[in-house]
Amino acid sequence: MDNTTTAAIKAYLCLNGSNNLIKSFLQNNGFEVMEAIGNIEDNLTQIHHFMPDVVLIEDNLENCEYVLRQIKSVAKNQNIQIILVVNNEKTEFMGLSDGIITNPINENVLIATINSHLKIKKSLDRLYENNKELSRSLYQLNVLYNTASQFTGTLNTTKLFDIMIEAMEKTLSFDMACVLLFNPTGKSILNINTIHTPSQNLTDALKIRSVLNYKTIFDDGILPNEKDFDEIELIQKVKQSRSNKIFGLEVLSYDSLFAPIKVGSDFFGVVEIFRSLPYSTEDVTCFQAISHQVALPLRSAKLYEEISITNKKLEKLEKLKSEFVSIVSHELRTPLTPINNSLEIVLSEQAGAITPDTRNFISMAKRNIQRLSGIIEDLLDLSRIQTGKLDFKYKIVDITPSLELLQKTFSQVANEKNIKINLNIEQKLPEIYADIRRIEQIFTNLVSNSIKFTSDNGEITVTARLVENSEIDETKLILPAKKLDGKYILISVKDNGIGIKQEDIPKIFDKFSQIESSLNRNKGGVGLGLTITKQLIDSHLGAIWVDSVEKQGSVFNVLLPLLSERKTFEMDVMRALTNYDDVGIIKISMKENTDTISKLKENKLLNLTALSKELFINEEVPKETKEEIEEKIGEIKNVYYACIPKITQESFDAFFKTINEFCIKNNDDIILSKAHSKKDGTDIGKIIKQLG
Amino acid sequence: MKKILIVDDEKDIVETLSFMLKAKGFECITALDGEEGLNKAKNENPDLVILDVMMPKINGYKICRLLKFDNRYKNIPIIMITARSQDEDKIIGEETGADEYITKPFEFSDVLEKIEKHLI
Repeated sequence: MDNTTTAAIKAYLCLNGSNNLIKSFLQNNGFEVMEAIGNIEDNLTQIHHFMPDVVLIEDNLENCEYVLRQIKSVAKNQNIQIILVVNNEKTEFMGLSDGIITNPINENVLIATINSHLKIKKSLDRLYENNKELSRSLYQLNVLYNTASQFTGTLNTTKLFDIMIEAMEKTLSFDMACVLLFNPTGKSILNINTIHTPSQNLTDALKIRSVLNYKTIFDDGILPNEKDFDEIELIQKVKQSRSNKIFGLEVLSYDSLFAPIKVGSDFFGVVEIFRSLPYSTEDVTCFQAISHQVALPLRSAKLYEEISITNKKLEKLEKLKSEFVSIVSHELRTPLTPINNSLEIVLSEQAGAITPDTRNFISMAKRNIQRLSGIIEDLLDLSRIQTGKLDFKYKIVDITPSLELLQKTFSQVANEKNIKINLNIEQKLPEIYADIRRIEQIFTNLVSNSIKFTSDNGEITVTARLVENSEIDETKLILPAKKLDGKYILISVKDNGIGIKQEDIPKIFDKFSQIESSLNRNKGGVGLGLTITKQLIDSHLGAIWVDSVEKQGSVFNVLLPLLSERKTFEMDVMRALTNYDDVGIIKISMKENTDTISKLKENKLLNLTALSKELFINEEVPKETKEEIEEKIGEIKNVYYACIPKITQESFDAFFKTINEFCIKNNDDIILSKAHSKKDGTDIGKIIKQLG
Repeated sequence: MKKILIVDDEKDIVETLSFMLKAKGFECITALDGEEGLNKAKNENPDLVILDVMMPKINGYKICRLLKFDNRYKNIPIIMITARSQDEDKIIGEETGADEYITKPFEFSDVLEKIEKHLI
């Protein structure tokens, strides 16, 4: 732009006939003049190289219109002023030129015309430059905006630095960028991005420079960590280097921008970029904006990393604790065995007669051995629940005999305290899908608790009946976020014991709750029974709540869901979900009876490689009872579920595709649906819904 | 008189168990590790074997499998004693072909019931 004032004004003459007069006139007036020679294409090339400020062109020139249009396109942004020399007034090309002058040319008019057009050109040039700057700023703003959203998308430190470099490359087009990733404990990393391969000298110099830069950031000269050159690891990236050019130390003399990356006292590194062309003030602002922008997500990333590490430590600790409990429990059982055996031998009088007092005390020892084994069993159960190792053997069962057994199991203990145990079980309770041993454990725990907290001559009543979910007040339920659905068996264990304070009810299900409250310490047990009970009920997709009045008694109410196609499946899925992080579920519904499942198995499609061991296909219900169930709900017709634990979303999708293609190929009238879930935040209802 | 082989590395368990079994009229032979147990099972013609799981040299599962997969010994009933209890062990036990399981600490009456089931 400034060139036009200092350098000579360039004119290009494209005239018929005598150019010489005009040429020498213009030259005398300080113009640099070039004349058209050769054909039209030559002329255009000349213009392209010469880049005149003004072109004089005569309208009767051959192909004048073409030339006019071409000049404009050859020098698109140069705002060349075209002055048409008109021979007759009817010229057609006035619209294509910037100005006109009539032939014969008057010298004064010519100078005046050219000068006024030069003024126009100057303004246009300035406008063009401004526009260019504006669009550049707009682009930078856009990049900044995009970068900001990219920054929020990741918590990976390296990735964040990559995004930063990319943003700087787009907005500031550097020749070289150096980023020192500060690591307070280990080696810091110096990332060098260049457009040409850097020389060894240069990389060495950059190492030193980055450390020096780092040291200048802290005004008071107190560094958070001393850093030395040899503690820096180098990572180099060379972009777009097609030539063999090598960057030497000269790069350090380029214009450069430098900024620390930090928020408050959190320091993450330094960034410096170099460019042979100078940076503008807008560039500096943009550079600072980006380097500032990256610091906040970096801090989040740092915090996230810290949390992850702590989490992992905690998980490890929790696992260790569970394993510890498990091992200790195992080890305790072995010595308990000969103690118990010896006491039995003495009591049996095989080793000689004993006095009644001896019998009394040995019996006491034996009773406490049994109590101790019970506690060990509880501890083991708890550790199994926590590690997800508790195994259930689900079957279709009638719980009535198990409930009736309670009276017998506790007859001796109840007699000792003169407590009456009543049973009130509805006739013909429907069967449920459950692990009967666990169901027994639930009610043994509840009844033994009731006996423990009921004084002599008390009364305990166990009732069982069928209920609809609408009869239940869901706000009372202890298990979190339980949504009741359909029919349940409600089993209540009611006592007239000491009762529980309203505010204590949720606490009694916590681990070792009894140990914490010293008042109940004398009641025995470690307070694991209710924790385990709650977990067992949860595993059965049941619910529990407690009604209690202090000094009058408590009622523990347990809901166990009735068998339905959906619920049995839910339970299987739940089991998979508690044991594995990723689970994929495929539902295969067949309208007609086909042999697809066996074909799938034959073709090893439902038995893939590493998955084979983990994969189980749940054939809905055991064969022998299938008919019975169909009678009850009448809709289990060839529905199969394949539940595949330990499978990522990606490989699961691929797996599903394979199965789907196979089914289509086999011409089976089959409907497939799938769902994938991660352990965290799994909503069983959602999965089932997804399956349709 | 029926002969019962008790294999357990816990001397006290072997001693108390054999005392009680002898009192009930059984002949008892004992072994204190897996290797000895396997040899005695093969050479002393026991009518039943009571087998601990965790033992030095050869563990109880392996002995059980070796016996149950050998036509000469597969008819000898085997009762496994486990400290782990429950399913985890029973599943493995079922695969090895054991006939019964008892969990430490056990009641003598339970053991006797299981023995009688196979010997009478």
